[in-house]
Amino acid sequence: MRPFKFTTVSDISSATNSVAGKPNARFLAGGTNLLDLMKEDVERPEELIDITRLSLAQIKPLTDGVNKGGISIGALGKNTDAANHPLIRQNYPLLAQAILAGASGQIRNMATNGGNLLQRTRCPYFYDVAMPCNKREPGGQPGCGAREGINRMHAIFGWSEKCVAVHPSDMAVALAALDAVVKVRSASGPERIITLADFHRLPEDRPEIDTNLSPGELITAIELPKNRFAEKSYYLKVRDRSSYAFALISVAAALEMDGNRVVQARIALGGVAHKPWRALKAEQLLVGQEATEANFKRAAEVEMADAKPLEHNAFKVELGKRSIVRALQVALTGNRS
Amino acid sequence: MMEDHNAPDLTEDEKKLFEDLMPEDLDEILDTGVNRRHFLKLMGLAGGGILAWQSAVAEQVFTRSPGGPLPDELSSAAIENGVAVSFKVNGTARKLTVDSRMTLLDTLRERLELTGSKKGCDHGQCGACTVIVDGRRVLSCLTLAATCEGRSVQTIEGLASGTAGTPDRLHPMQTAFLKHDGFQCGFCTPGQICSAVALLDEAKKGEASYVTESIRTKPGPVQLSNEEIRERMSGNLCRCGAYPNIVAAIQEVHSGKPVEQTWQLIG
Amino acid sequence: MQEKNKVTGTPVSRIDGILKVTGKAAYATDYPVKNIAYAVLFKSTIAAGTIRSIDTGPAEKSPGVLAVITHKNAPKLNVEGGIRGGALLQSPKIEFHGQHIGLVVAETYEQARYAARLVKVEYDQSKARVDFEKLSKEAALPKDKEKADAKRGDARAALQNAEFKVEAVYGTPIEHHHPLEPHSTIAEWQGDNVVLYNSSQIVNGAQNAAAATLNIKPENVRIVSPYIGGGFGSKGGQWANLVLTAVAAKAVNRPVKLALTRQQMVNSVGLRQQNHQKVSLAATKDGKLTALAHETTTHCAIENEFVEPCGDCSKIMYEVPNSLITYRVVPMNLILPTYTRGPGKSTGSFALESAMDELAHQLKMDPIELRLKNEPTRDPSNGKPWSSRTTVQCLQEGAKAFGWEKRKAEPRQNQQGNFLIGYGVACGTYPAHQRPSSARVTLNRKGNAITARVELAAADLGTGTHTILAQTAADALGLPLNQITVKLGDSDLPPAAGSVGSVGASSYANAVHDACVKLTDELIAKSGKQFFVRPTAAQLMVSENVADYQTRVDAKPPANADQYSSHSFNANFAEVRVDIATGMVRVTRFLAVTGAGKILNPKTARSQIIGGNVWGIGMALTEESVVDPRWGNFVTRSFGDYHVPANLDIGAMEAIFIREDDRASNALGVKGIGEVGIVGVAAAVANAVFNATGKRIRELPITPDKLL
Repeated sequence: MRPFKFTTVSDISSATNSVAGKPNARFLAGGTNLLDLMKEDVERPEELIDITRLSLAQIKPLTDGVNKGGISIGALGKNTDAANHPLIRQNYPLLAQAILAGASGQIRNMATNGGNLLQRTRCPYFYDVAMPCNKREPGGQPGCGAREGINRMHAIFGWSEKCVAVHPSDMAVALAALDAVVKVRSASGPERIITLADFHRLPEDRPEIDTNLSPGELITAIELPKNRFAEKSYYLKVRDRSSYAFALISVAAALEMDGNRVVQARIALGGVAHKPWRALKAEQLLVGQEATEANFKRAAEVEMADAKPLEHNAFKVELGKRSIVRALQVALTGNRS
Repeated sequence: MMEDHNAPDLTEDEKKLFEDLMPEDLDEILDTGVNRRHFLKLMGLAGGGILAWQSAVAEQVFTRSPGGPLPDELSSAAIENGVAVSFKVNGTARKLTVDSRMTLLDTLRERLELTGSKKGCDHGQCGACTVIVDGRRVLSCLTLAATCEGRSVQTIEGLASGTAGTPDRLHPMQTAFLKHDGFQCGFCTPGQICSAVALLDEAKKGEASYVTESIRTKPGPVQLSNEEIRERMSGNLCRCGAYPNIVAAIQEVHSGKPVEQTWQLIG
Repeated sequence: MQEKNKVTGTPVSRIDGILKVTGKAAYATDYPVKNIAYAVLFKSTIAAGTIRSIDTGPAEKSPGVLAVITHKNAPKLNVEGGIRGGALLQSPKIEFHGQHIGLVVAETYEQARYAARLVKVEYDQSKARVDFEKLSKEAALPKDKEKADAKRGDARAALQNAEFKVEAVYGTPIEHHHPLEPHSTIAEWQGDNVVLYNSSQIVNGAQNAAAATLNIKPENVRIVSPYIGGGFGSKGGQWANLVLTAVAAKAVNRPVKLALTRQQMVNSVGLRQQNHQKVSLAATKDGKLTALAHETTTHCAIENEFVEPCGDCSKIMYEVPNSLITYRVVPMNLILPTYTRGPGKSTGSFALESAMDELAHQLKMDPIELRLKNEPTRDPSNGKPWSSRTTVQCLQEGAKAFGWEKRKAEPRQNQQGNFLIGYGVACGTYPAHQRPSSARVTLNRKGNAITARVELAAADLGTGTHTILAQTAADALGLPLNQITVKLGDSDLPPAAGSVGSVGASSYANAVHDACVKLTDELIAKSGKQFFVRPTAAQLMVSENVADYQTRVDAKPPANADQYSSHSFNANFAEVRVDIATGMVRVTRFLAVTGAGKILNPKTARSQIIGGNVWGIGMALTEESVVDPRWGNFVTRSFGDYHVPANLDIGAMEAIFIREDDRASNALGVKGIGEVGIVGVAAAVANAVFNATGKRIRELPITPDKLL
């Protein structure tokens, strides 16, 4: 870990001002990923701005604006508090489950809601400074270690020759399914709103850029619109270990039903791409259809037809199909066993 | 479940132990003829209490007293980007200047002589460094000491009340870990116990986990199944594989009901 | 198992428990040594070649740095001194990815860690041999004579003519020990003497290896290692980090602390080798084995050979007239493999016991019945009588306790909702040996109060050694347990065997027992009296008015021990639940029935067995170290990538012990249990997965992708 200056700020404007024009300054919130990466010498900030004391932890119902009836989740609230807030457990159980599927109790007590979205990939080539990685060392010669390497954990959608990493967050997958938006502030200019769908990006030829957040921008809140998915939703996480492991595949599934007919469906996948992967084709196929296993399978087939697996992760295509079907079934029936 | 066909009488030592465990019942039980089999079962149930009697020692070169005096301050050359921090550790106010890079874990271990918290991975992937900050379990290896200004930190050294190490003053979770043999090498144990202690509060607050079936129910105190305890303790790796014993220890404290230890000798 | 009026055999809680639950047990880096400096190692980023240049300038100038040590300035060390795995900074040669190439010592850990990143290295790279799948074709006979081809009868001919046969290759990946405590040392020189606070399963072995490598005498080295944060074989042999800490401390003339990082563990302290095991079984239609061939192909380091004995179980488990056990090994640019819990037996039993399950299925025979039909009355490998053998009891009692009759004979017949349920069984064994160990016992009397002190340089890596030795001494001296103090883990104490290969309990307990008996004998002799009833040492101290008395023995295994074949045996029963959609497997129930001689403490013994079972479940389901076949680096460097089982992976675990009074193996009839607990476990799980799903997985671990 390189030496860095440590600064504590107490309000939003001093936070944004303190990083303005400093490309090597970083906000420090939960620190669960940033410190991990700094110890590996992957992140090399020269200054850390401790923002944990800003009052941005509140979770509250939205009484006006486009998301009226929805909810605002403070960026600096802890994951544990978001997952256990009565409004979220009652109205957005999918989000609560996704948060609880991630990491461990200790980490969820530390990690913030905004920080969760800014997690970086756990690609082992990214983490090991002895390995080539375009995300870690942009513009360098070496290239992507995983593209032709051990890529069992890597992407099957939206990857590029420069990067095949996946986004590690569970929370973000549920947020993608629930049409969340991210509110950000910077030293210059007004508050900006980014949809979750546009928040993370695909690697293309700039894999070093994970999100569409501009330099110096601070996430202040995540907003969720009102929905009718609370009755029927499920976050399924498939992993190599029963708990405390990153997803091979995860599925956030939610249904709004009219009798046995699907009014609206929401499906997003984790562990398959550089960003939470919204399964729009599958969703569209289900709308207006009966909620049957056959239709779930058709939807899954259609969505996974576009997958482009790498050498070691072809299993994710089949696993993705099965997981979509299972997640939809559990969402529909509430029966996990 | 000890199978013993001979069921010999208790030794004097065992009677003494029994006395320590449940003095009021001793005469009655001895009169009605407690045999070794019953005794062992009872001892299994009350195994924690065995400490009162069992003061055999595993000796080590030194034992340190928790919360001792602050060691000599490091020379200023050894601190870069120094940050002055005041916080409470196990109830005692501490004030020191740390390198901005120093984690809470390294501060506890290298500066405050509190080596109970362990460094198993230093990357938030094992839980051995778990401590309780402002009432919640966190990973001290991923917490910068510089962010701890004004916080209250509780470590394994601060769980036992009174003089640490005096058996009758152990935290109930420590006693339960002893009784249920919730460890082998003991390296992950401080983290496991801190995690378990905080977990009890989380259950009281009604916090949910990934295996909670009824996520939409209103948060309120919950009785945790063993499956719930397993999931909630999955952030604390134990390479010796003491998990079933850890779950038993936590369940006993959480439920307030004895959890029996079972093994059999056959033949 | 306990005898009348004895504390041995009772489930006493660990006597070191209070120190452990209060955080006061001191592991290697916990010692409050004053004026300490911190060392951080840096490692090669290639797998084969030589260091062309190494620029330590920026690191040396970095704040707080006291020294940077590389092959260019390291003192001359004896590379034949007994340190495993090389990497002693003696030459610019690189033999594996992540080889230590230097270390930085600084005032603080933060400064050392940062400066280690500033060292710039250029290499002349040569072609690395790191792709096992390709290189395994070049594998040849090991140099180790124990690994020569072992033939009985003509297995190949018998296989050719067999009515029923199984021929399959079983793959087990590289695994890492990953004790929760990374290998750590504090070195403190006092003149010519160095104290090494270290994590050592073999205290005297560490002392001798450190001394020889440093070119000093063993008496100049003191190892202090009473508490060890897990070892599992990786802290049996000693690795370069131990000696390099001493080198660093000498260089800066201050005590130095060096702890490996978790990421450094993958290429610093050995590993369990990857194995291809071809097992061939031939049988008659009524299930009598006619041939068993177990052919292992594996890898070792470029310079040094280590081959875990995968064929050991196959040598002795079944009565079979034609047997063939072979090993082939290929040197690779990877760190030296080493002993890993249940070396050879855990991985070998996965192959053998999976094959037995395949054969049973082919024969449409219950797998327990198949095993019972092939039970040998003597050790088939050498004709020696068993000191005891409990396989049949383990299987039969286990079947009863587990509810084996509920198993569906045909696979994929037990579906419950989204899950398939399956049962599996597999046997295991591990040799039981006593090794020479010394022990010193001191009695002290104040009035009528007697206390005893038991001392030897044994190790307790969570095995319960402190406790069982206190129990042994209490009974042998006639003292209550609370009057016993046990001191271990210090090379200044009488020398003892290592806590490796399941020899600890028998070697130490017999030594302590012998010392107590000798002490009593000496007190009797000293009294000059004759006794009708043999008094205890405690009684003699009072009756003979002795204030202090000390004795020591150098205990040896019984002279006739090698007339017998002495082993622990077990049978493992697993119930698994496989998610039909996702392929995720949970071991919902597990039972190990073990015959391991006298159980000194059922509480700690049960924990040991269950711990071994958890390791076996990890081997079966989650653990795999992956090498990038292009560069020889480990892709799985962290606990995030290498999946040690987590709490939720482990279901209901049960342990049953078979009572044994096996005095042929050693005087106390104590056999070790540290290793046998893992043997057979992975096969029991894999067999249960087959019973659940109909899918036979021959490549561990059984991750979800393999069951789709």
